[in-house]
Amino acid sequence: MSTEQIFLILACVLGFYAAWNIGANDVANAMGTSVGSKALTLRRAVVLAAIFEFAGAVLFGSNVSETLQSGIVNPVIFDTDPFMFVRGMLAALLATGLWLQFASYCGLPVSTTHSIVGAIVGFGAIIGGVHSVHWNTVIYIGMSWIASPLLGAGASFLLFQLIRRHVFYQPSPLEATKKILPFLVGGVVLVLMLSSTYQVTLRGASAMTKVGLSCAGALVAIIAAHYYSKRLHIPITEEVRAVDPRLLAEIHSAKMSLEMARKNLAGEQFYHLEDIIKDIDGFADALGKSRFTNGKNPELALVEQLFGYLQISSACLMAFAHGSNDVANAIGPMAAVISALLHTPIGLGGFPIWALVLGGLGIIIGLATWGWRVIDTVGKHITELTPSRGFSAEFGCALTILGASSFGFPVSTTHTIVGSVLGVGFARGISSLNLRVVRDILLSWFVTIPAGAILAIVCYYLIALIA
Amino acid sequence: MLHILNLFGRSPFAPLQGHMEKVVDCVNELEPLFLLLKQKDYTLLNEKAEKISALEHAADLTKNDIRNHLPGSLFLSIDRGNFLEMLSLQDSLADRAEDLGILLSMRKMEFLPAFEPIFFQFLHKNIEAFHGVKKIIYALGELLESSFGGAEAEKVKAMVEDVAFREHEADVLQAELLKAFFTAENQISFGTFYQWEKIFKTVGALSNISEKLANCVRMTLDIK
Repeated sequence: MSTEQIFLILACVLGFYAAWNIGANDVANAMGTSVGSKALTLRRAVVLAAIFEFAGAVLFGSNVSETLQSGIVNPVIFDTDPFMFVRGMLAALLATGLWLQFASYCGLPVSTTHSIVGAIVGFGAIIGGVHSVHWNTVIYIGMSWIASPLLGAGASFLLFQLIRRHVFYQPSPLEATKKILPFLVGGVVLVLMLSSTYQVTLRGASAMTKVGLSCAGALVAIIAAHYYSKRLHIPITEEVRAVDPRLLAEIHSAKMSLEMARKNLAGEQFYHLEDIIKDIDGFADALGKSRFTNGKNPELALVEQLFGYLQISSACLMAFAHGSNDVANAIGPMAAVISALLHTPIGLGGFPIWALVLGGLGIIIGLATWGWRVIDTVGKHITELTPSRGFSAEFGCALTILGASSFGFPVSTTHTIVGSVLGVGFARGISSLNLRVVRDILLSWFVTIPAGAILAIVCYYLIALIA
Repeated sequence: MLHILNLFGRSPFAPLQGHMEKVVDCVNELEPLFLLLKQKDYTLLNEKAEKISALEHAADLTKNDIRNHLPGSLFLSIDRGNFLEMLSLQDSLADRAEDLGILLSMRKMEFLPAFEPIFFQFLHKNIEAFHGVKKIIYALGELLESSFGGAEAEKVKAMVEDVAFREHEADVLQAELLKAFFTAENQISFGTFYQWEKIFKTVGALSNISEKLANCVRMTLDIK
């Protein structure tokens, strides 16, 4: 076997392994909350995640992949010795894999994106010389790492504020949800359709037809959601509507007897009995109005149930966004190796679709072999994130990541969703937040990038020793 | 990535409600305590006072536990200072219950017919105010669900107003109680007079603190 063949196989194996890793660990960010709120069963969540991750990777993954393939390190510099470039990209993949294993062993919140970018920049600057790195792109990527959690936080904050004002603060949260739900569904569908048609070159499809098609899809979704939510009522209502007037009379006489009993009481007992009488008043009132208001508010529970359905759509969007951004971490360097070896022009024309398909498959297999466990664990433990909160966090996060994908910026999904959850927390949606995670993430930035770079250089010389 | 799981701090409301339950245990012993005084059963009264003291200690332990586990990095959905004030007000309610036990067991006292009935009315009104604020604290979970606004918040606001009204009623009763008490001032020694005065103040503090606590919760609401 020639060296080239070995390198080819090595590139595919390492790229596939990186994709497997992404599927195994990161997909939980998108689906965990929906499983936790019981809007989705684990099996359905895994199937949906697989479909949308794959779609995101194949339909929208090429921008970021191109950035990693040829946007950071200029392959032209290595034209004299393509093997240097091949070894470097292989070293970057290997370094990322090693660093991620080490970090997850130590429990550090590191990001695949940060380590692969660190590794590529490291090998480029040291092996190829400082001038071989596109520092402009690197600076833009660095800025996008700061901006993405902030934008995620901002978007989720605004979304949850919107839900607060227009749902929770309304006299009837359920009716308000019915009004607002179709538009939120429409928003999700619009974003999803816009981003999945963004790069697909249909025959003769101009930008206008794509936008038109997406708007039409969103409109259909709005109408469908409108008719679906119109049918929903508080389940108890139906039973109570056929209220017997004799029942009301009985309740009234019971109240009279309690009022008699109250005369002989004082203090705590007086307070409690008075409370019971008030409850009975409320109950009788509710019977008349066909609505229960005693104790826990069943309306809020139903609102959350509705948001549970909405959250499924935002989780799918999140899986799509994640696939579109993170598949590049595995496939970008792999494609760089392959195109250098096969002497196809690098960075020109479209990104090879089969590489994206391979990456998508890797993510799905990672999800099927290990990822479902992580989704299960995350789902069981995130009880703080009710569907309305989860929807706000996921939609805000997905918008940010899709924006980054369209500009070709590799950003960290984990950091963005952490930003988004904090955004919901700032809008008083979560009882308490632990800001230690933010500190850990900031610290890990300062460790991951140099660690990725140094490991990549070490791996480069190791590979150079072998071949 | 499991890091997202570490993002959530422990909800502070459940422990606060747990502390409230212990405070309720203390305050619930007050009526039996004064009934024992009425029956002049001083041995049982001393036992009751010790029991309240033990209950107050249990509440103190919970309170310290909450304070120890509310780290500085916790980002709460309500103001941290406000939360700690709620906790300390709950604590002072338990303290007042303990104080009353101690005041009654210090020396043998007895009710005078001149003010006994109105004293019990006064005590009951204070306990009612306390149970009103107890319900408010128990509603904090529902408030979080609706993120401190809307119909839930309106409901809690009405409950706060109810507690404030009971506190006012307690104040009116206290004035009447003092009037009745002064009619009997010649029948009692200075020491007894001073002791009763202190007991009245401590009982009256129950509704005052309850009102403050209710207003603390009121401050967390997102309604004007």
